[in-house]
Amino acid sequence: MRLTPLKRIVLSLILAFFVSGVQAQPNSLTGYARNYIGVLLQGDHEYSIIQNTLNLNVEQSKDKVAFKVNPYIYQYPNENMEIGLREAYLDMYFNSVDLRIGKQQIIWGKADGVFITDIVSPKDLSEFLLRDFDEIRMGVTGVKANYYIGDNTFEIVWLPEFTPTIMPPEGSIWRPKYSFPMQPVFDHSREKVTPSLENSEFFAKYSVLTSRVDFELMAGYAFNDDPTMHVVKTMNPATHRLTGLTVYPEHHRLTIGGGSFSTTLGPFVVRGEGAYYNGKYFNSTDPKLPESVVEKNYLHYLVGLDYTLWDIHLSSQFIQQAILDYDPMIEKDEYDNMGTFLASRNFLNETLNLQLFVYYGFNNNDALVRPKVTYDLADGFELLLGANIFTGSAGWFGQYDNNDMVYTKIKYSF
Amino acid sequence: MTSKRIQFVFLAIMLTIPLSAFSQDKLTGYQVIENVYNRPTGTEMKANLTMTLINSRGDERVREIKQYTKDFGKVEKKIMFFIKPADVRNTSFMNWSYDDPNKDDDQWIYLPALKKVKRISSDSKNDNFMGSDFTYDDLGDRKPQDDTHKILREEELNGEPCYVIESIPKDKDYMYSRTVTWIVKDKWVGLKKEFYDEDGEYLKTLKIIEYKKIKGFWIIIKTEMHNVQKNHTTKMDLSNIVIDGGIKNSMFTERMMRRGLK
Repeated sequence: MRLTPLKRIVLSLILAFFVSGVQAQPNSLTGYARNYIGVLLQGDHEYSIIQNTLNLNVEQSKDKVAFKVNPYIYQYPNENMEIGLREAYLDMYFNSVDLRIGKQQIIWGKADGVFITDIVSPKDLSEFLLRDFDEIRMGVTGVKANYYIGDNTFEIVWLPEFTPTIMPPEGSIWRPKYSFPMQPVFDHSREKVTPSLENSEFFAKYSVLTSRVDFELMAGYAFNDDPTMHVVKTMNPATHRLTGLTVYPEHHRLTIGGGSFSTTLGPFVVRGEGAYYNGKYFNSTDPKLPESVVEKNYLHYLVGLDYTLWDIHLSSQFIQQAILDYDPMIEKDEYDNMGTFLASRNFLNETLNLQLFVYYGFNNNDALVRPKVTYDLADGFELLLGANIFTGSAGWFGQYDNNDMVYTKIKYSF
Repeated sequence: MTSKRIQFVFLAIMLTIPLSAFSQDKLTGYQVIENVYNRPTGTEMKANLTMTLINSRGDERVREIKQYTKDFGKVEKKIMFFIKPADVRNTSFMNWSYDDPNKDDDQWIYLPALKKVKRISSDSKNDNFMGSDFTYDDLGDRKPQDDTHKILREEELNGEPCYVIESIPKDKDYMYSRTVTWIVKDKWVGLKKEFYDEDGEYLKTLKIIEYKKIKGFWIIIKTEMHNVQKNHTTKMDLSNIVIDGGIKNSMFTERMMRRGLK
């Protein structure tokens, strides 16, 4: 196995903490080791994944300063190891200000499993949305400053370099299915956003916890984490028939403003979140468009309700995306509606948990159904049996209709 | 016995009975519970909490928490940082409890895996706290006006004179149909409490194993809850207790929930 210099450094760091000659003892070394096996239910029951994971959190702090490093290893049989740093940052604490510098996960908003104002950390969709959320959210290198007045927090973030969403590699069963009229050629020459001060990303947030309601207001000047697919068609001038397609993935600037809230109404927790996106591009069938894309503003929002009934924790969300000033030739629907549902109950003094989580797409009548059973064999030692069932034939979930799977995870936290 | 002698004996008896006994004899069940509720415990407390969960086979699981409490007058704020087991480390929980009987508690939990502070409903007080035999409501200060209280009898428990109080919730849907509490006279410390489930069946018993005076306040140090229906026990020990040691107001904020104990 060949390792890049970065991987060597990370691996050395991990080994250094396991071989006892660590000079500066961290005041916290935690993490987990995990085995994860998934089997597809269709066809020859191929393995969708066999993965061994080591995840470490190394933390040290003194009065006003702290650091954290979170290296991880994903090991796959007969394949290269995936090694990286999910987070690596320094903290500085002042009276009313905290500064965090380095690679960090930044999570905003009140939504569960949906990304509306939560746009600072991009997503790792190598395994679609199936990974744990701390593994989906990628760390981004930047500076975060928080200023506190009582229960009010002002937060500003500067990311000097843009980090895009990680998409599943070619050949992966999680690679999204694009609907092009013929096999296209992908040209990635316009995809990279050149690192420069002009191409920095900026975000700001105000948040407050009160006895009546918690809310956040946010704004961002960023790039779209997901590339727009600019399509250039080659036509035969004699027959006017399509002879070739070239796709140029490109990340565009976005200006985003939004907010979220959470409050209690008797036994219910009511949540809401919404954002206005300015400068988003959508694919269109309009032949007048040279690259088959059109810029439109759009809204993305949700309402959610959490409730406990007969010791079962229930949570549901309704999410809508609306394209403003809609043109019927845009390939995406004007309104895209989705719902989520969660039911979870603990048994045996919280050693056994049964959970069901469902994403449902109203437009395509497709869904992802995720039942799971978790049993704590001992403190920190967890056995998990679950399934991911995709229904429908089109849409965000329906495209993976052949990827139904059952899986086990055995995890030891320390 | 002459009348003079009778007068002397009566006087002697009077002198040996503390004056407070006269006022206590007139106490109602509600007043006894109100005295427990209002027993001063200091304005602030910092402590480590260790919970040992013991199942019917004798297997033990240990949970460790660091907790801070401060009374701000009309609101009491509490923040807990979870230390053990490893899979809940860095989780934190904050509760604001109001004097206003019509105002529900505000509660938030910080989940480090999600990196989010989530508001949760305090209505789920029936839930067991971290898999223990204590519900969230057992750990809070239940307001005296939520129940109807009656003195059943007076008797000694562990050599201490106690009132035995029966409390019946006014809310018929409450998780307990009644509780019976042994309360030490003058100290207003509950020594033992029996809980009966919604069907009136004996459910569990809370015993105070150790309590002591710290900075002039009676503080409960060790307790044990035994659920007879599940044959499951939770031991709860407080250590490193600091009363009125000076906790900053900023401890009870989202900032600290996220930062944790560094």
